[in-house]
Amino acid sequence: MIRGAVAIFTRDFKKFLSNPFVIVMTLFMPVMYLLIFGNAMGGAIVHIPVGVVQDEPYITETPLYTAAVAELKDFHQPDKPPTFDVTVYTSEEVAKQALSQGRISAAVIFPSDVAADTTVRVYEDSSDYMVPTLIEGGVTASVAASGFPNPVFFNRIYGTVDYIMFFGVGVIVMAIFMTTMMGGAFALIRDRELGIIEGYLVTPVKRSSIILGTIGSTTVRAFLAGTIIFIFDVLITGVVIRQPEDFLLVLLVIFIASIGVTSLVVALASRFSTQQEYASVVAFFNLILFMTSGAFYPILGMPSWLQWIALINPEAYTVHALRSIILRGQGLAIIAPDLIALGIFSTLAIILGIVTYRRTLE
Amino acid sequence: MEHATDSGGPAGSLARGSAPEGDRIIRIQHVSKVFRERKRTVTAVDDVSFDVVAGEIFGLLGPNGAGKSTLIRILTTLISPTSGTAFVGPYQVARNDEEIRGIIGVCPQNSTLDVELTAYDNLVFYGRLLGVEERILPDRAMQLLETADLTDRAHMPVRTFSGGMKRKLEIVRAFLHRPQILFLDEPTIGLDPDSRWEVWLQIKRLNAEKTTIILTTHYMEEAEKLCQRIAFMDRGRLIALDTPENHKRAIPAGDLIEIGIEKMHDGLIPALMATGLIKSAEAKEHRVIISALNGSRVLPAIIAVFERFSMPMTSISIRSPTLEDVFIHLTGRKLDTGIGENSTGGRGQKP
Repeated sequence: MIRGAVAIFTRDFKKFLSNPFVIVMTLFMPVMYLLIFGNAMGGAIVHIPVGVVQDEPYITETPLYTAAVAELKDFHQPDKPPTFDVTVYTSEEVAKQALSQGRISAAVIFPSDVAADTTVRVYEDSSDYMVPTLIEGGVTASVAASGFPNPVFFNRIYGTVDYIMFFGVGVIVMAIFMTTMMGGAFALIRDRELGIIEGYLVTPVKRSSIILGTIGSTTVRAFLAGTIIFIFDVLITGVVIRQPEDFLLVLLVIFIASIGVTSLVVALASRFSTQQEYASVVAFFNLILFMTSGAFYPILGMPSWLQWIALINPEAYTVHALRSIILRGQGLAIIAPDLIALGIFSTLAIILGIVTYRRTLE
Repeated sequence: MEHATDSGGPAGSLARGSAPEGDRIIRIQHVSKVFRERKRTVTAVDDVSFDVVAGEIFGLLGPNGAGKSTLIRILTTLISPTSGTAFVGPYQVARNDEEIRGIIGVCPQNSTLDVELTAYDNLVFYGRLLGVEERILPDRAMQLLETADLTDRAHMPVRTFSGGMKRKLEIVRAFLHRPQILFLDEPTIGLDPDSRWEVWLQIKRLNAEKTTIILTTHYMEEAEKLCQRIAFMDRGRLIALDTPENHKRAIPAGDLIEIGIEKMHDGLIPALMATGLIKSAEAKEHRVIISALNGSRVLPAIIAVFERFSMPMTSISIRSPTLEDVFIHLTGRKLDTGIGENSTGGRGQKP
């Protein structure tokens, strides 16, 4: 019994040692989890953009305004940078516009007189996780610290957004990634291992047809998965789709993301000959892209090196675009930068995918 | 034996690569393939030239690593030759690859079936890749499944098939678009005798539809049963090309007669040689092995010698030389020893 066990043990171990790539990845992954997961989640959210306005009729800055804004600028958690980046707006209209376009997370409107019956009005973007709570705490504390009696009134402009609604959008992106990474690409590598791809090559079918068919099938699968999870999301998390255009916009975002991720995955799958190597690389990509996408936690709360990754992370743009449409009801004008970023990513990925896959077919 | 056939049908009579220009469906001229891996270079195919005649079953015979599969991969456009030219039909390899792919069917050595699909779906899928018209595709698929005796299994996943069934399916799949030329790379490797026999039958059936078939094998029996002409390859080179009969005739030793004995007599061998009918004779333990050009005709004379010495014979067998013997004669090595071993041989090496 022992002899057989030792034989199997030796064989497994020999195989494990003969693949340095997989060894490195198995040790690398937990460390990456520590660094990325540990840093991406639960960090102090700082530099929240906030706009301040003193209401009409404007004569001169009231002591309330001066004191509270100073407090707000200075507000911070122990040993952390300031919680708020304060911008001064000249009118309520302009500040609210900036808020609805997502350039600031809250607009604080100070009344023109100091009195217990004139309220400080705060309009806040309630679609983000943690951020509304921080704004509410910060503004309340700042007004109180100013020593004036004005009450504070908060208006969550997107209603109350539960964490499940916030996170649900991220799951759509996860569905796209999972379908392509796990489903499509593994099938592609297995087809190659089994020689099925070589079988294609002796038929008159064009190389471009093989590439188009491969990328096409996986893209559609990813698109369907994303769409199904989106519908699921609507049904169970309680998000509301306000108009049919929003629904179509969501599908557009899911589609562009699907084709980009699929092409990237086809390129990766072409580079790796074994499923094992591919799996370790994909696990890494999945971790870093999903964690820095803002699906779990606001990107504002991440250290700057992760924010840089988020800046080039197509998933971050997908999450932002989807949240803009689903949680905030914003239209094409707001998500245009996201779509441009996704478009650039997808175009590059398609080129990369075609070139690398084509090379494996030659 | 050398004459042209007008029919273009199975042309067992064609020998030594000569045929009218129009009947040569594959022309290979000085083709070489060199693989470079870091500093090591391997010449897998070394200056090979021959023609294949339309309608024949042509065998490429040789040990593992002889370059058969590489040559097939060149002809089926999977890799391009390092030097030399090859024509498949009217098209040149590495220049008109897409046209070539349209007139050939390929059954590679390693299965390329999708085992998760059913037999029928495999055929339909491949039919689409091969450009078979959608209108006739379902009928064509069922017809081929019938050819392969797989009708009752048509809608079962290929995963559940035996090795022989998979092989038969793969061969008919290569025939979906009625190719002019069918390449079969080791079609019966790893099959049990029954399945092998069925695959042979199927190959013959396809050949009867005027398809030229090129098969590689390292089973002599297979080449002997199926092929009208056989090319021997060894270490990348073509060492002989002829009909099976002519190959065997080229062996100087002729037939082998084995006679079992109980006790050896010293005068026997000289007496046998004295008949002038045999080429050689030697005694091995309880056997006498005699080689003669026409075994069955000289046997009575040999038996007479044994009787003269009052030696009782326990057994007699006459064996015609096999292709294995031809290969040993050509290279000095056995066919299944592979390359690199026993490299001192090589008597009678033919260009």
